[in-house]
Amino acid sequence: MASEVNTDFLQDKKLDSIAADILRPVGITQGFVVWMGFLGVSLMGCIYAYYIQWDKGLIVTGLRDYISWGMYIANFVFFVATSLVGMLISSVLGLIGFKWVKPIARIAEIIAVAFAAVAGLVIVSDMGRPERLANVILHGRIQSPIIWDVTVVTTYLTISILLYFLPLIPDLAISKGRMNHTPKWLQNMYEVLSVKWQHTPEQYRLLLKAIRILLILIIPTAFAIHTVTSWLFAVTLRPGWDSTIFGPYFLAGAFVAGSAAVVIVMYFIRSNYKLDKYLTNHHFDMMGKLLVLVSIVYLYFNINEYLVPSYKMKTAEAIHLHDLFVGEYALMFWSVQLLGLVLPIILLLFSFFRKPFSMLVISIVVLIAAWFKRFLIVVPTQDHPFLPMQYVPKAWMVYQPTIIETAITVGTLLLVIIIITILVKFFPVIPIWEMAEEQHELDHKSQK
Amino acid sequence: MSQNSKDASHDHDHPGHDSTNSRRDFFKNFGLFGAVAAAGGAAVYTGYKYEETKPGANFVRVLTADNRIIEVPKEGFKDIKVDLNQLQKQGREGLKGHRFVMVIDLAKCRNARKCITACQGAHHLRPHEYHINTLVMQESENTAPYFMPKPCQHCDNPPCVAVCPVDATFKRQDGIVLIDNERCIGCRFCIAACPYSARLFHWEEPLVVEADKGTPYNIELNVPQRKGTISKCLFSSDRLREGKLPYCVSACPNGVYYFGDENQDSVTNGTTKETFRLSELLKVNAGYQLMPELGTKPRVYYLPAKNRLFEFKEDKDPVQSI
Amino acid sequence: MKRYFILLIIVLFSMQLSAQEWVVAPAEAALKSPFAFTDSTRKAGEVIYVANCKSCHGDPGKNNVIQLVPIPPDAASVKMQANTDGALHSKLIQGRGAMPSFKNTLSSTDLWRVISFMRGFNPKYVQEVAVPTIGSASAQNVSIKLNWNKTSGQVEALLTSLKENIAQPVAGAEVKLFAKRFFGNLPIDEARKSDALGKVSFNFPKDLPGDSIGNVQLVVKLTDEVAFGEASAEANLTVGVPTNRPALTDQRSMWGVLEKSPVWLIFAYVLAVLTAWGFIAYVVLQIRAIYRAGSKE
Repeated sequence: MASEVNTDFLQDKKLDSIAADILRPVGITQGFVVWMGFLGVSLMGCIYAYYIQWDKGLIVTGLRDYISWGMYIANFVFFVATSLVGMLISSVLGLIGFKWVKPIARIAEIIAVAFAAVAGLVIVSDMGRPERLANVILHGRIQSPIIWDVTVVTTYLTISILLYFLPLIPDLAISKGRMNHTPKWLQNMYEVLSVKWQHTPEQYRLLLKAIRILLILIIPTAFAIHTVTSWLFAVTLRPGWDSTIFGPYFLAGAFVAGSAAVVIVMYFIRSNYKLDKYLTNHHFDMMGKLLVLVSIVYLYFNINEYLVPSYKMKTAEAIHLHDLFVGEYALMFWSVQLLGLVLPIILLLFSFFRKPFSMLVISIVVLIAAWFKRFLIVVPTQDHPFLPMQYVPKAWMVYQPTIIETAITVGTLLLVIIIITILVKFFPVIPIWEMAEEQHELDHKSQK
Repeated sequence: MSQNSKDASHDHDHPGHDSTNSRRDFFKNFGLFGAVAAAGGAAVYTGYKYEETKPGANFVRVLTADNRIIEVPKEGFKDIKVDLNQLQKQGREGLKGHRFVMVIDLAKCRNARKCITACQGAHHLRPHEYHINTLVMQESENTAPYFMPKPCQHCDNPPCVAVCPVDATFKRQDGIVLIDNERCIGCRFCIAACPYSARLFHWEEPLVVEADKGTPYNIELNVPQRKGTISKCLFSSDRLREGKLPYCVSACPNGVYYFGDENQDSVTNGTTKETFRLSELLKVNAGYQLMPELGTKPRVYYLPAKNRLFEFKEDKDPVQSI
Repeated sequence: MKRYFILLIIVLFSMQLSAQEWVVAPAEAALKSPFAFTDSTRKAGEVIYVANCKSCHGDPGKNNVIQLVPIPPDAASVKMQANTDGALHSKLIQGRGAMPSFKNTLSSTDLWRVISFMRGFNPKYVQEVAVPTIGSASAQNVSIKLNWNKTSGQVEALLTSLKENIAQPVAGAEVKLFAKRFFGNLPIDEARKSDALGKVSFNFPKDLPGDSIGNVQLVVKLTDEVAFGEASAEANLTVGVPTNRPALTDQRSMWGVLEKSPVWLIFAYVLAVLTAWGFIAYVVLQIRAIYRAGSKE
């Protein structure tokens, strides 16, 4: 990102057409109302499921003393993982100087904000005593990774919100007078949120400085958030979790899930908002390459994580690995590894598959596999404690997620989609000013 | 064994059994506080159930903490409330100068499961909710199976306590690891961290709710139990405070358990009440700890299942026997 | 058929086991209860029986014993009732195999009460009460004094009894020494008999932990209650190793309370949080600066 902005683009005629393109879908449309209505009603059902859990206790889940972390925790890890893509795309790639990420950066931040915000709720849904949440602050012990996680998720969410909001400020100002098709309250909100933006060089200087600080700050924070999440498992003594590579392993996996999520959102924005001009085939192609890159890194960590212990076959590890490779979880394990990781890598090496629609299909498969991968990390390990499971009801020895549990998990996903929908529908999804500036520079250069 | 499980279900079916238990605990709680109150200089007698000897008489009959029935002038009678804060404070501090240890002699265990029922009775647990459980163990195919009672190991490097985010589970100066269900948020990180599977979670309302209503929470007994919180073996720290052996230790009919103080280098057998030097007992019988390689430093020692006193008989598949 | 064979094997096996005699010395078998069995002793005995015996021997006469090898006999059975009172008393004290010794758990009186309860199921039983022997002993009202002999490293007990207001040494009386521990009395050395001067010397271990200054609460007891009556004495002697081990919670550790967390961790955590939130605060200030810059225009 340049340290100075040439504000000449504001006089450029092209700004009008870009702004018109991007602002056209903003506002309340019939499709939006129907979609939100559907999400809202479904969410109500899920909230009712949570009410039942609140009332009866976690007995309504499939969790019991031996397998006491299940879908909720897997879902939490998945959410945190997916949210990391905001850091990868806007920060790492942006700071390195890749120009193609500009129209995608905001989408990545939207995903970051939505998933990070709901991740906190997911954890609360797993708590036996959610009303005692304040104890985490009142009686927090800084030796506990949960406290580190709470700290770092809060920090990451705050930075992500700021990173979404700051580049939005000039767009909010540009939108003034171009939003006649939207409700009045939205225009008023733009007015307030644009913090008196006048496009002065001084304001641009301040804004770029702030963004730059955040872009750097978010890198260690994002590393911390997912490394700490991996430590929730890695600090225990259990085979399958007791691993030193869990931090980077989780990070690599996070980028796979996040990239896939970005592609999916990109596709729907492009097709629904008719923004082919901004989210071009080239962008999908580049995202495909990114997805291959992070998938290969993830594959590398997977090989480390599974090959080394299965070479040694220490007793407890062997039981765990046996369960994954040929046992109870074999079908899920190999589906996830082959369909969700190896096959996408092979396919995406060919430019033929890096077209928008095939990218969408592959990304959906990758994202679903990513969710089940988290399930495979969380659940099977608890299936085989060091000491045998005896004299307990048969049902306590296997984990079978219940409908209520699934409904609550679906509810959190719905919440993510709702947040994404709102942000995508009420604010410009592509940075207008950055697009206009880039266009202006290009035109300027070609004139010369 | 079948008889035992029948016993257990019997307890379960008849809440009356539990209500008597809770009443006893209730007195005990009063007793604990009574000691404190007496130290404060107030000559108050503890008790909650009293009856007047004769209508209009100026004396009331009171049951004291040591189970005596005495008469107190009505004017001198003062209702005291058991103070939750006091129970919490003393419970978190622990007993000064002690380091409690347990020794379990596997050669004597025949899976009578009396320890388990005694424990479940005291702590108001269901038959499949264990602070202590007896497991059928077999090291490898060619070695003999044996029964292994498994309480919380009260580790000196407790992984469960380390991960607790809210200081709900904690280790006391006397080595005992307790759980405060007034504080617990139910995240179950401690369950994930414990390699001995020694913790249980109240997924639903605990067994005894109505009878425990109004009973102040005793952190050393973890009663009343609470939905959505963790429970675990407490080494019966409420009994230790009175100089008594833990519930499981006293209930064992076979002399499996020794309990004592490492600082005094002595343990007492719960069945025969014989006292031994801890160091000697461990030396002579080649005592060991469970999974010492994990670095948890357990406070529970095992004596190997050698020269056993009974024929190993596994009556049912332990996996399915509930 | 298969069940029948298993049963047969168990029976044969247990017969073989019971073939190994449970030896009771004739003198002990001849022992008799010092009190007559009455309804009240039977009632008291029942309470003790239910608490200590029922888990294996079941309810007398109902044949609901636990299936162990050897099978514990029913208390009302012919086999059980064939024992003399003294033999039962002795076996309760000895224990054998899975049957624990009740030497330290139950007093002699309690044992007789249990026997009295068991005899209630035998209509043919006629009790013989022991002839009281108390009074015929060589000494009564024995008092014991404990001392620490620094030079020999032994704990000494001096047994005396008052005869016509003059303290006389008690010779030939067996005494036991214990150290008081949190849950019970730890036997020290063996039971020893007093010499002609009424003195008993106990070897005392050099490594027994005492309190913070090495004091150990000692108890000495006469064993032969019949001949010498009951006598015991306690003394707090500096015979142990001073034990002042710190509370387990003293050290800073990952498992300690917040106040006991490792210094490096507090430092790292606070530094990381301050850094991150310091920058965030700075960015928020920049937004304010943007707002102000816009207001000026």
